[in-house]
Amino acid sequence: MKNELISKEHLAYLRRVRGKSVAVNIARIAILFLFLTLWELSAQNAWINPFITSSPSRVYKTIVDLYKNGSLFHHVGTTLRETLLGFAIAVVLGYVIALILWWSDALRRITEPYFVVLNALPKIALGPLIIIWFGTGNEAIVFMTVLIGLIVAILNMLNGFMATDKNKLLLLESMGANKLQILTKLVIPSSLPNFISMLKINVGMAWIGSIMGEYIVSKAGIGYLIVYGGQVFKLDLVMSAVVILCVLAAAMYAVVALIERLVIKNK
Amino acid sequence: MKEVLRFDNVSMHYHSKQGETVALEKVNFSVAEGEFVAIIGPSGCGKTTLLSLAAGLLTPTYGKVISDGYSFGYMLQKDELFPWRTIEKNIFLPLEIKRANTSENRSRALSLAEKYGLKQFLKNYPSSLSGGMRQRAALIRTLAVDPDVLLLDEPFSALDYQTRLSVCDDVYKIIRNEKKTALLITHDISEAISVADKIFVLSHRPAKIVAEHVIEFSETEPLKRRENKEFSRWFEVLWKELNG
Repeated sequence: MKNELISKEHLAYLRRVRGKSVAVNIARIAILFLFLTLWELSAQNAWINPFITSSPSRVYKTIVDLYKNGSLFHHVGTTLRETLLGFAIAVVLGYVIALILWWSDALRRITEPYFVVLNALPKIALGPLIIIWFGTGNEAIVFMTVLIGLIVAILNMLNGFMATDKNKLLLLESMGANKLQILTKLVIPSSLPNFISMLKINVGMAWIGSIMGEYIVSKAGIGYLIVYGGQVFKLDLVMSAVVILCVLAAAMYAVVALIERLVIKNK
Repeated sequence: MKEVLRFDNVSMHYHSKQGETVALEKVNFSVAEGEFVAIIGPSGCGKTTLLSLAAGLLTPTYGKVISDGYSFGYMLQKDELFPWRTIEKNIFLPLEIKRANTSENRSRALSLAEKYGLKQFLKNYPSSLSGGMRQRAALIRTLAVDPDVLLLDEPFSALDYQTRLSVCDDVYKIIRNEKKTALLITHDISEAISVADKIFVLSHRPAKIVAEHVIEFSETEPLKRRENKEFSRWFEVLWKELNG
């Protein structure tokens, strides 16, 4: 409803809505601020032991030090590369495998129990095997990331493909469409929302994969910083790495959310 | 008149783990060129099966469906427009499927759309159209490949009553105007009377044809037919046969 003349009641309503969302944002920031302040004060006044809990100022100092000695971007870059590469491979491969399974009823039915088991299996159990197969380089970590994301990607996409509207399928069949046409004209475009939600889930999976991979075997990266910091009892380093991880994961999620908004706008 | 579709002793059996269902049993009827035929039957009696057989999507268990060389266009209960395509792209869909997406065919489809008042909506997405307009777009999509026979599977049943009457009127006029043969299946007696030249009545499952009527009115337009005295007489006759 585009109306040049907005009534007083409507104006008041709009103001109320805006007021509410401002209040929510203030509350969000206030919680973070309160938490950081309380944490800092507790550490300063020795209510808690800053050696094991660290503190915001110590975290800040650690990150600045990492930046100054040049290793910050080395570690962030390493993990980011592993995560993005693993994410991309899992998404592309998962999509293709899901397409093949959609295409072949027989293959889908035959492989179903295998996917169920693989989905339930905690992939970290394969850690030692991965080290032996792929060595101690980045490949092992990327493989771990792919492994964790792949099955989820396949199952999510397959669900989306199989949920194609029966009547629209009938419509295309009545026009004489072949399977490839059904796939390209209907199944792929109609499963776009599933693709977006699969991307969102896999962002989380990719970070789990790369960090877990770095726990098992690594020479650099954020997961490496966490493990190393823990081993030498530098908990400032552990906390700093976790903070960096929070920021990166949020940024990657934001990128996917942006893609979603662009795609939906195009619809 | 030439025959465009004939069911010759057609029976259809469905198999599932639970057993065998006989959907149609020895169904015989034919549709002549230019005719508007309606088939009415109780819900779940196998009406959609009948249309799928006519369209060649299913093969009958016994008997024959004969439709030498004629092409069919299918219209479903809902418009089934693809929400990610504009109205124009939706109308071109069957051209793409039939690999007949030539500029000549496209402009023919577009001129149909313009003729029937869709011009201003061509670049819009289906979600911005009313139910009636969407159904009209679905009809133009069906007509885009110039089929000889239209198969209508309760094409108005998803609309509310008001829209339904006007869309029925609308679709009927377009089909007559374009001189198409049409086979409508419905459970709505009044809808069948208001549009058809001929009505076949199906029984409960296993469906058989239990009656055949030639409907003659001085008027041809659906809304006017509904006001005619004959209308209620036909309604009574068909009602009894349907529930007999």
